[in-house]
Amino acid sequence: MKWPDSISIKHIALAFITGLLVLMSLIGGFAAYQTRAVSHSLEQQNQNAAESELAAAVQRLLSRTEDQALKLAYWDETRQQLVLPEYYAYWRDQRVYESGILDNRHVRAALYDPSGMQLAPSPTKISMPARLPVSTPPHQSSSWLVDEAGAVALYSAFPVYSGEQRQTLLGHGLIRLDFMPALLRQESLHFTDTTSVKLILEPGETLAASELFSRLRFSARPDPDQLQFQTILSRTLLALFVLLVVTALLGFVAYNRLLMRPLGRLSEFIDAMQHGRFSPSPSRSQTMRISELENIRRSLYDYQLQLRELHGSMEHQNREFHSQARQDALTGCHNRRAYEEDWENFRQELKSAPQGVAFLLFDCDRFKTINDTYGHAKGDRVLSIIADALVMALRANDRLYRLGGDEFATFLSRTTPAQAKQIAQRCQSLLDASAFSDLGIIEPVGISIGIAFCAPDQLEHIDELPKQADIAMYTAKQPGRTRIALYGEDTERASQTLVASRETSALFQALATPGMIEMHYQSIHSLPGRKVGYYEALARIRYHGDLIMPNAFLPVVSSRRLETEFDLAVLLQVDADLSSGQLPAGCGVSINLSAQSISRPEIVSHLLELSRHNARHPLMLEITETSLITQMVEVRTYLDLLRTVNYRIAMDDFGTGYSPLRYLVDLPVDVVKFDISLVNKLGENNRAGQVVADFARMMGDAGYVLVAEGVETDAVLRKVESLGIAHVQGYLLSRPVPLAELAAANAAQNLKTTCSV
Amino acid sequence: MRVYLLCLLISAFPAAAHAVIAQQEMRPGIGASAEYLVGERSKPAVLLVHGFLQTREFSTVATLARGLHDSGYTVLAPTLSLNVPNRSQSLACEAVHKHSLEDDVAEIGRWVAWLKSHGHRSIVLVGHSFGSLQLLAYLSLKPDPAVKAYIGASLVEAQIGTADRPALIGQLEARMHGKQRALVAQTLSFCRKYPSTPEGLLSYVRWDQARVLAALKQSPVGVKLIMGDADTLLGQGWLKTLQHVQVPMVIVAGANHFMDGSHEFDLLEHALKSLDTIQQAPTR
Repeated sequence: MKWPDSISIKHIALAFITGLLVLMSLIGGFAAYQTRAVSHSLEQQNQNAAESELAAAVQRLLSRTEDQALKLAYWDETRQQLVLPEYYAYWRDQRVYESGILDNRHVRAALYDPSGMQLAPSPTKISMPARLPVSTPPHQSSSWLVDEAGAVALYSAFPVYSGEQRQTLLGHGLIRLDFMPALLRQESLHFTDTTSVKLILEPGETLAASELFSRLRFSARPDPDQLQFQTILSRTLLALFVLLVVTALLGFVAYNRLLMRPLGRLSEFIDAMQHGRFSPSPSRSQTMRISELENIRRSLYDYQLQLRELHGSMEHQNREFHSQARQDALTGCHNRRAYEEDWENFRQELKSAPQGVAFLLFDCDRFKTINDTYGHAKGDRVLSIIADALVMALRANDRLYRLGGDEFATFLSRTTPAQAKQIAQRCQSLLDASAFSDLGIIEPVGISIGIAFCAPDQLEHIDELPKQADIAMYTAKQPGRTRIALYGEDTERASQTLVASRETSALFQALATPGMIEMHYQSIHSLPGRKVGYYEALARIRYHGDLIMPNAFLPVVSSRRLETEFDLAVLLQVDADLSSGQLPAGCGVSINLSAQSISRPEIVSHLLELSRHNARHPLMLEITETSLITQMVEVRTYLDLLRTVNYRIAMDDFGTGYSPLRYLVDLPVDVVKFDISLVNKLGENNRAGQVVADFARMMGDAGYVLVAEGVETDAVLRKVESLGIAHVQGYLLSRPVPLAELAAANAAQNLKTTCSV
Repeated sequence: MRVYLLCLLISAFPAAAHAVIAQQEMRPGIGASAEYLVGERSKPAVLLVHGFLQTREFSTVATLARGLHDSGYTVLAPTLSLNVPNRSQSLACEAVHKHSLEDDVAEIGRWVAWLKSHGHRSIVLVGHSFGSLQLLAYLSLKPDPAVKAYIGASLVEAQIGTADRPALIGQLEARMHGKQRALVAQTLSFCRKYPSTPEGLLSYVRWDQARVLAALKQSPVGVKLIMGDADTLLGQGWLKTLQHVQVPMVIVAGANHFMDGSHEFDLLEHALKSLDTIQQAPTR
């Protein structure tokens, strides 16, 4: 049995009263038991007294009868009748009574001659036996009882002699009396219920007087004093019990009013306080009669007032803390914690109210460059302006969350993809209208927006929205995009490569496992002649036998800010390939590096170490133009250093990024690689083609070595040749191949490949 | 004198222990007994008869017997049977009285004979109350010659209350002639109700004062009466009548019928004086 942790005071009171009643019941029961025992003892004493007095009465009756018999036996007149029985009837009917020997007429006497025959027949109404029983002893007195038609008769026979010397037996005398009346007529029966006295005797049965008492059945007369005593005691006990019950009830009522209810109110009051429910006026008017409880109530009241004030203060602080905890301190919009809570709640709400949902992910373009260039203060200001603009662009109930850094997000309920795009465009419009120039920022500040949409009937995919928006956002960041991408429409391919877990896993594994990054080499041909000038090393990841292409993992590298680590892995692999000797001597190798890596000392250190291959394989570094170079001074310093160890510097993807001319001016660039989008323009016979062609001639005239990328048609090739571009690269001439395949092809041609830069 | 007698009684007490109970069957089935106190052989034997329905244990008689015996007299104190076998108790007035004066006289005669058979040739009859009458009735018949004298104490006639004696006698005689055996309840002596056979009652009723006086006058032996002047049971004028006929008589002053108390000694004293007188007188 497990006891409850706590019990109420009401239960204690009930238990106490119940215990009291039980105790009193036990005492009452014990008293009743004792009374019964005493009564039983008294009854037993009464019974014993009745038995004693009845035995005495029987003995007295027998003695009296024997005495009467003795008197008759020694009475002269008795002897006279036995000798001269002429007037026997007179003696029998008169003399025995007149003489006082027999005291009443219910007792009869008769005389019998020595042979046992009655001297003269008795009157019919007197049933004296005509002859003595044969069993009567001739010389002794004897007594017996006989049931005669329902009435018990006591007979006492006695011998009568001629004189005191008992010489001659004259005859016998016999006394008969009705036993029961004679017994019960005695006034000494005080304890015996005379109506209950019975002698068990079979009809006609003869019972010796000595056995008389054993056949007597009787009961004691109820003792009126005892009955009265029992009645008084029972009434007293009952009255006590009733008094106790009434007292207990009254006590319980008083207890309830004075203690339990006030305590209950106090308990409820304390519970309410515990649960923060403060009554406006806590029992101020309900004073308690018990002074101690009243003191407690007043103390609680005062305590409640203080607590309420404290609670109000704490509530205010909590609200502030909660708000602060969910608010981004810099921008004033909601923070990541608020985002996670709201997103989870929103997801739950969607289960009961399906609707179209759009998830918008915002990312500031080139924010790091701005931050690095203009300082954190201005960076923070830029973020605030962006947040303000976005909040203004969003609908009234939409919330903007800052997920971290320059990344913002919102999710739109009850919307469509078109509406989501419209809102995204409004965001960009408002942001474009923002006055960043007031901050002294001359670069354009924009945001890329990734949108993911989930229709009401596809809410089971709701969890994928953030990932899809992420994919869309990075798609939007791709050069040439409109900076707004809707997942599924604009980023079908990118979505499969950006944050797909397979590619991400492969990338991280490749960065941790040397050899997983596999370098493929695409030849770059010299013009005219189209001979192989050198090779561009292009990274691939071999993952579970499959080859993962750069367009699949480079977005991951960019999104995870893994440019340095990736570039280090590439340099290690190129070093290994060059060290293997499979590349024909004299053939240079062009290596792609991100602009961020150039300023990393560990990259520079590796490049310096790699420069040992320059004698056999002239090395070139390709820096993509699409990335913003924020640390221009440091990059130039490092590039100058690298040039001293014979590295050549190429500007990759020229024509797709921004500020290309600034890079050309500020950086020590040797080679400019025209992006495929520019190269394709060459094939067009229009003003754009003319501009590109003129620009190419101008670059060549300025001393830059030009490389045309992505040449896939003969028309473009001829145009490139006609413009005097030094090198050409593209599927028209060759595709990237693994080093082993390249070596095998060269071996198969059995030619000694020569490169001409 | 009284102190002397008391001392004599005490000193003679052991003699009483040698009392003999004599028994005789007076009639078939009717035995009777007498206390035989043996005294000096030189002195006459006294036959002491008790009063009406009493026994020899009656105080007056018993005291007198002891006194006489203590004085050297042989005393035979019978209890008349009154037709009750071995009667030892006073017979109640209301008892069945089947005895008659003739029966009583016969028993007295038997006890006189018994004394004679025991060697007593001089017998003095001493009676108290009705016993005196019964002895007188014996003397009126042919008494034994051994009887030498008669002393009657508190002698009374057969009193019948207010009844007319001649009428009663007539009724009783009529019953006897008619052989009516029913008991007759009549006042007799001190008994208000005395159920008796007609012949028995008649035998007593016949003894009125006149017959008693006649018997006294005609007594063959010397007569001496000892009477009390305070005897209320005596018939009115009885003492004067006795004095009138000049019967030798001693009247004890203050003594009642039973001469109890200190008068027992008066009775004994006078009885002894009478016996002494009888002893000195010439025998018949």
